[in-house]
Parts: sequence; C-alpha cells; structure tokens
Amino acid sequence: MLNQVLIVAQKEVLDGWRDRRAVISTTLYSLMGPAVVSMVSLAVHDMRDSEQVLIPMMSVFTLVAAFVGGMNVALDSIAGERERRSLVPLLTHPVTRLDLLLGKWLAVAAFSGVGLALNLIGFALLFHRVPSPALVPCMVPLLMLAAASEIWISTLCRGVKEAHTYLSMLVFLPMMVGMFMVFSPLAGHGWWKFLPVAGHQMLIDAGMRGAPADPLATLILAVATTVLAGLALLAAADRLELDDVVYGG
Amino acid sequence: MDYTVEMIEVRNLQKQFGSVTALRDVSFTAPDGAITGLLGANGAGKSTTLRIICGVLKPGGGQVLVDGVSPSGDPLALQRHVGGLLDHAGLYARLTPREILTFSGRLHGIPHQRLNDRVEEITAFLGLQSVADRRTARFSAGERMKTALGRALIHAPQNLVLDEPTAGLDIPSVRALRLLLQRTRDAGACILFSSHLLEEVSALCDRVVILAQGRTVAQGTPDALCRRAGALTLEDAFVAFTTVGEAAPC
Repeated sequence: MLNQVLIVAQKEVLDGWRDRRAVISTTLYSLMGPAVVSMVSLAVHDMRDSEQVLIPMMSVFTLVAAFVGGMNVALDSIAGERERRSLVPLLTHPVTRLDLLLGKWLAVAAFSGVGLALNLIGFALLFHRVPSPALVPCMVPLLMLAAASEIWISTLCRGVKEAHTYLSMLVFLPMMVGMFMVFSPLAGHGWWKFLPVAGHQMLIDAGMRGAPADPLATLILAVATTVLAGLALLAAADRLELDDVVYGG
Repeated sequence: MDYTVEMIEVRNLQKQFGSVTALRDVSFTAPDGAITGLLGANGAGKSTTLRIICGVLKPGGGQVLVDGVSPSGDPLALQRHVGGLLDHAGLYARLTPREILTFSGRLHGIPHQRLNDRVEEITAFLGLQSVADRRTARFSAGERMKTALGRALIHAPQNLVLDEPTAGLDIPSVRALRLLLQRTRDAGACILFSSHLLEEVSALCDRVVILAQGRTVAQGTPDALCRRAGALTLEDAFVAFTTVGEAAPC
C-alpha cells in the first residue's frame, strides 16, 4: 500500500515540477509576504512599531504560504486529471482509490511545504526572524490540512477552471482568519489557540517574537488539525468512489 | 480455433446511473487466443461493459470473471488481469512515453530491472523508440494511441480490453493497430474490443457479441451470426438482431 502511495506521489511531484508556469506562480506567491513586509518596513522605523506591525503581517503571510504552495498541484492532480480523462486509465491499474488519493495528497503537502519554506527563508533573510523549530510539530499538520482540504475541494470540481476558482477562495480563508486574529479584540483568548489556522497564526506570531510555545496548546492544536485533515481526506476518498466523479463531464 | 478456454466471462451484468439503466442483462464470454468484438449502437452499453471489466466501474448486479478470478475475493483482480485502453488515451502531457510506461509498470509491481527491459520491449513493439523521450503534449493521435496501448500492455496482460481504439486515427495508424492486435492475439491473448464500425469488426474479429439497449442479443462467429440471422453480411445480421433482439435476448 505504502509503495503504491509513494509511486503516485513521485509521479505527481515530477509532473508538478515540470509545470513551470505553476512553479513560478507558486514561488512568487510564497515570496509575496517577504516582499510586501519589507516594503512596509521602510515606513516603520521605531523598533516597537516594528514588532506591532510587521510581525502580525509576517504571520498572516506565512499562514497563506502554507495553503498557496500546493494549490496548483491539487487542482491539476485531481480536477485536471478528471478534465483530461487521465483518471480513468489510472484506475485501470491495481491501486486503490484511497492510495491514489494519499499519493496525490503527499505530493500536494510536499509542494505546500516548499511554499512555506520559501516564505520563511524570505523572512529569515530579510528580517532575521524565523519561528522557533519547536513549531514544526504544529506546522506539519497545517500543511497536511492545507493539502487535504485542497484535494477535497478539487474532487468537487469538474475541471481545472472551476477548481482554480474555488481553491483561490480557499486561500482567502487563512488570510481572513489571520487578519481577524490580528485585528479583532475578540480573538486570541481562551479556545482560539486550539482552533486550526487561528491557533497556527497565534503560534507563528508568538514564535516570531521569540516567545516560547505552550506545549499543551501545540499538542491539542496538532491533534485537532490532523483530525480535520483526516476528515477532509475521507470526504475526498468518498467522492472518488462515485461514478459521476470518475466519468462525469 | 479452440474456444474452450474462456478468459473473460461476463454474467448477467447490470448497471444503473441514477435513473438511467445502462446495462440490463449482459452476458458473454471472450476466449483466449481470439479477438472478440463488442458491437452495438450508441448507448447500447459497450463502454459501460468494458469499464466494468477493467475495474473502473462497479457493476450494479451480475459478475465478471477474468481468468476465473472474481473481484469479490480481490477488489483489484480485474486491474491485475486486464490491460485496458478505454475511451480516451488520457496521457500526461508533461511526461514522456518512457516515464508513463515506467509509472504504469511500477503501479503493476514490476521489479525495477525487469521493468526497464519491458519498457524497451514495448516501445520497440509499438514503434515508439523515436519519441520515447519526448513529452506527449504535442503527440499525434497515432502516437497518443500507441503510448496508451503500451500502458495497457506493460504488465503483459493475458486479457486486453479496448474501447473504440481506432477512433480518430488515420488509415496507416488503423492498419498498424490492426496488425498489432493480430500479433497480440496470435501470442495467445484474449482481446475484447468495442466498435460501431462493422467493416473493422468483420476484418478483425474471430467472435462478435452484439448488444442492444443494455442486453446481449447475439454472440458467435461472424459467419454463425449471419447464418442465424439469415443474412448475407454482418451489417444485415446486426440490424436483424438489434431490431428483433430487443424483445428476444439470447
């Protein structure tokens, strides 16, 4: 089973890497955060203002980068596969639909990871601010959730154009949640830190300020995010069992 | 030719898509070492039957046995025993034929070294050597069909299922495909293919199965079908069976 998953993932990574237009677009989106924040930083001279303004911005862009990195691969590997009718030949191979989905999901998560890494490298080079490595156990589930939700949405779409529309809307979600967390007086208290995406914004923000992460909150957030990713994957696997998804025009 | 070994056996196959009944009762056998043609008008159920045999669709009722194996024991049995070229080539534009064949072979569990040899063998067999390392994005219809056929043949299946394989091909490509199928048949494979081109079926098939409105209405050699219908040509026999056969399935 794992072998089949890895074979599918490898193929998707190769195919995704060769889609140069998508790779360039993903790279630019991932580096958009460091570019925008560095321009804003030109207007912020006071150190305290810098902490108040730039770090929340960085955390939102980092959150978005986790979702942007895998978007093109998700739409091409599921909705694109349906549109060009390559899903049907793929299903003539001895591989379960769940394994196919897991392989594609791994590939999307890998691209999401690269997007996130590019974003963080950009911030590290420009501002010497990188979240603590202790956040890794929390960021990995976020990548898993981003990839799973993109895969699920892609299974709901009949073609690349439709998938592109809905996945672009999905990328707005972390942006809106991140902005809400930054600006709303309601956010940031009590259970918010356990909520996927919202909790991640808080952790990234705290991490960039050099504050230590709360281990219990990190653990609960990681578990909640992983469960949500699992549910999205199950929903996607369920879609792939439908005749209409395999053969629907 | 000996037809006692029946490699693909379809029993009372049924399939419903929402309120549409695609297959009501399809039963036939396709033996080893023979090309069996599935004939029928548009909407007769040919493609749905082939998709079920390839394991892409699940039947609503009935059974498919390939090499005596049923998917009830092994859900991927059909995929292991059948090589399928269904209604669309469905190639990856950014991959080369060699990469597509290798990907396919790996999914079939062919060991690395044997797979390399098999890819070389298939590209030579299909005359794809000159384009084996070119991305398929700008391939001609013939090159696309050959690559898709190579993918279906990579695991050396004993059973080959093709859905309208000559659709969109030029005459030299159709001729090349016909020769390929005959060579594969002569090597002992069971080949089942659908077409609505009667000349193609007459030229190529050892046996014919006629479907009408989701039912098998006749099956046998082209000569036997003509005799039974009292017709001189397969076309006349087809018309006779699909008109009368709706009321009296065989």
